[in-house]
Amino acid sequence: MTIMEPRKHGSAADGLVGGRLSRFEGQMKVTGAATYALEYPVENLAHAVLVQSTIASGRVLLVDKAEALAAPGVLLVLTPEDDLGLMTKSDWFGNRPDNQPYAPLPREISYNGETIAAVIAESREQAVEAIKLLRITYDETPGVADLHDPKAGDGKVMDNLSVSWGDAEAALAASAVTIEAEYQTPREYHVAMEPHGLTAKWDGDQLTIWEPSQWTHAMALNYAEWFGLPPDNVRLISTFVGGGFGSKGAALAYGAVAASAARKLGRPVKLAVTRPQNFTSYGGRAATRQTIKLGATKDGVLQAIVHRGASETSVTTDYPEQTGAATPILYKVENYSSQSRVVPVNTVTPGALRGPGKNPSAFGIECAMDELASKLGMDPLELRLKNYADRDYQTGKPWSTRMLREALAQGAEAFGWSKRSHAPRSMREGRQLIGWGIGCGTFPVIQAPSAAMIRILASGRVEVVSGAIDMGQGTYTILAQTASEALGVPIDQIDVLLGDSRMPGSAIAGGSMLAGSITGAVHKTATAARDELIGLALNAPNSPFRDTGANTLSVAGGRISVTRGEGPSMSLPELMAAIGQAELEVTRNTLPDDAQGAADQNAAWTSMKRVEGPTMGEFSMHSWCAHFAEVRVDEDFGTVRVSRMVSAFDCGRLYNPKMVESQWRGGIIMGIGQALFEEGMVDGRNGRTVNNNVGDYLVPTNADIPDLQVISVGVPDLKASALGGKGVGEVGIVGVAPAIANAVFHATGKRVRDLPLTLDKLL
Amino acid sequence: MTRTLHLSLDINGRRHELDVEPRVTLLDALREHLALTGTKKGCDQGQCGACTCHVDGQRVLSCLTLAAQVEGRQITTIEGIAAETGELHPVQAAFLEHDAFQCGYCTSGQIMSAVACIKEGHAGSDDEIREYMSGNLCRCGAYNSIVSAVREAAEAAR
Repeated sequence: MTIMEPRKHGSAADGLVGGRLSRFEGQMKVTGAATYALEYPVENLAHAVLVQSTIASGRVLLVDKAEALAAPGVLLVLTPEDDLGLMTKSDWFGNRPDNQPYAPLPREISYNGETIAAVIAESREQAVEAIKLLRITYDETPGVADLHDPKAGDGKVMDNLSVSWGDAEAALAASAVTIEAEYQTPREYHVAMEPHGLTAKWDGDQLTIWEPSQWTHAMALNYAEWFGLPPDNVRLISTFVGGGFGSKGAALAYGAVAASAARKLGRPVKLAVTRPQNFTSYGGRAATRQTIKLGATKDGVLQAIVHRGASETSVTTDYPEQTGAATPILYKVENYSSQSRVVPVNTVTPGALRGPGKNPSAFGIECAMDELASKLGMDPLELRLKNYADRDYQTGKPWSTRMLREALAQGAEAFGWSKRSHAPRSMREGRQLIGWGIGCGTFPVIQAPSAAMIRILASGRVEVVSGAIDMGQGTYTILAQTASEALGVPIDQIDVLLGDSRMPGSAIAGGSMLAGSITGAVHKTATAARDELIGLALNAPNSPFRDTGANTLSVAGGRISVTRGEGPSMSLPELMAAIGQAELEVTRNTLPDDAQGAADQNAAWTSMKRVEGPTMGEFSMHSWCAHFAEVRVDEDFGTVRVSRMVSAFDCGRLYNPKMVESQWRGGIIMGIGQALFEEGMVDGRNGRTVNNNVGDYLVPTNADIPDLQVISVGVPDLKASALGGKGVGEVGIVGVAPAIANAVFHATGKRVRDLPLTLDKLL
Repeated sequence: MTRTLHLSLDINGRRHELDVEPRVTLLDALREHLALTGTKKGCDQGQCGACTCHVDGQRVLSCLTLAAQVEGRQITTIEGIAAETGELHPVQAAFLEHDAFQCGYCTSGQIMSAVACIKEGHAGSDDEIREYMSGNLCRCGAYNSIVSAVREAAEAAR
């Protein structure tokens, strides 16, 4: 493996926590040397290609595979006829049904695009060709296409998501000023640039999986449970991940198919899920609708919020996209009521996509606040500051840190908000209508334990080892910085090894919980390693420090020295040689002392059992942001362009501002896509995702994106994490779409309440 | 029908011999047959730009190019643009410096496009860079940094 070469910028402090060190693995990525899952060289590979259903609901009667099997190079065709002998795996919380078989190629079809067969051949090309020779017969039954299908109905109430305090209906009725509106968001997709897929290889009853993963240990366990293997028999390797955004956190049906095929054939199998197949092989963000009623006094003091939301889910699993997730905590409100429903339709079960819940939720409440400001004739910035939440009104708990006021103030200042002409359609340049809008966002601080290993080698190089992953957030980089600072070893002596379920376990790279968790674990481990090193230096028989009489030693710049006064000073390799130590290996985790058993540890790295939400302690802990958007709407064509954005964030302490700014901008850009382009189109006749490719499902291109100014207003929050950071990755997208929708209203006087903001809605 | 063609491809200044089916794309030839995996497959249908390579100095989508089409032509991939000494191409160095990527999966294609974009004379302004780099999608959203990196490399090349 190529050594990752760190790049520093100007000052030595760049390598410490909080420094702007360039991406640690960057050299590998710009030279093409970074090896992603499907690129590992494996001998004697066979290639599997999936076949997906073309009906939304019904039954596979027959897959006639005779012709396909006779085609050149074809080795195996798997269909619902094949009993693969798999058992159902545990859910996110570690719960597992007893003796429940699992069929990744089901006979009963619950959505269009469900995997029902696979062809495995000597080459991918041969497999693709043979698929055309399959004859599939269905017994089709009527399906429900999507949330808008009249047959979908109102769905069912999710009682666990109902929230209320005060008397919202009465306070609303008594309010001098009220607004009521319905907001909708369509199906949206992750579209990570690296499509899903894997290579599976068996050696006896040992299974190796190369698959992009946001959670190596949990996904390895998924495979072990499917195949009835001891957990240690599965190794999942995910050194580099080409984006995930929530889609790569669990093993999926295609993985079971590939591993089963590999076992049946007795040779390794590579399965690349095609780009179109990615749209239905796992769920994106569910379509949502929500009604919001706000009541306020004449001078804009919020009296009540009533929220009623619904999201679509599959017919097999209730997965709520929580449109009420941000609604209760953005503003001070004494009377609140929220209810959420899920509406089963024939779709793949939706999943978590950047800013799950908070994102569509913020679209509702942040547009509603703009509508209220408009009705009051008040500056939307002033309305937000007037109703600033001094604490969490849902739980009554104080915030750990909340710099949202500063975000609004500094964002407004940088944007030039005070120059806004408040009436709609009052700013223009030629035939372009100009609008300015605000949207706030939030995402909870979610805490989870992690483990890490530090190895100090005889060469003086230090290895930081963790099963955590880097999908572009900067895990490699910030862990090098964390270890460098805690150990007192220069960054260019450090190697970081990640993304392997054989390494120490970690939190999922999801819910913005990994950075805070894994830096805590690495800091703890590196500190322990430093202490052990000092202990060895003071006590080892041949150590030159043994007779110095020092109580402790200092480690800085990769040298170990007597802290005060004259004394020996040695580099790490010199010390290791002097004391005859080949290697020093230290492993620590951040689980509590009473949960250090093997079962507790395994559960912590593979389930949500040890995950703590934002209000489980004394405080309510969240990241916050305020987005300011300028749009230009063509008066004749209705086309919307975002011409300028300023976004200010409170994410606590930033471990590496360079990485953080990139992630914030990435979230904002995905939010621009959500606002202007992204919409899964469903054929009402058969529930098919029509635009299942990146030419038709539009994500932002370079030309769609202006310069995005990002500002940090956060302060270290040591309640949120060991090193003071709050989550960074999810919050960036939250509040972007409403900022843009509000800007479009300001530009045009037209209130569009369903995303995306396409020209047909503005003409 | 499966027959094989014997191809001799000139990639990054080296000759590579391979036997492949006629329908094998340049992208699959690189990734599956020649272990040159720096070129990425993002969509396999000419929409994302992750597979961008140079053929005779022009950027092409290797997923829409058959390997058999490029015999006798000079193919350059991400593995072939740094100096023999290992020194990064100025565009690679600028991408690293400006953090013009996150996950890294679109990066090879972005860099190959950027090198060509500058050579084509299409990096004269930020707006022009945005336009001529828009065939390469980046879902992590590194576009601002990509523009900065291309601008800097273009200025250095003048």
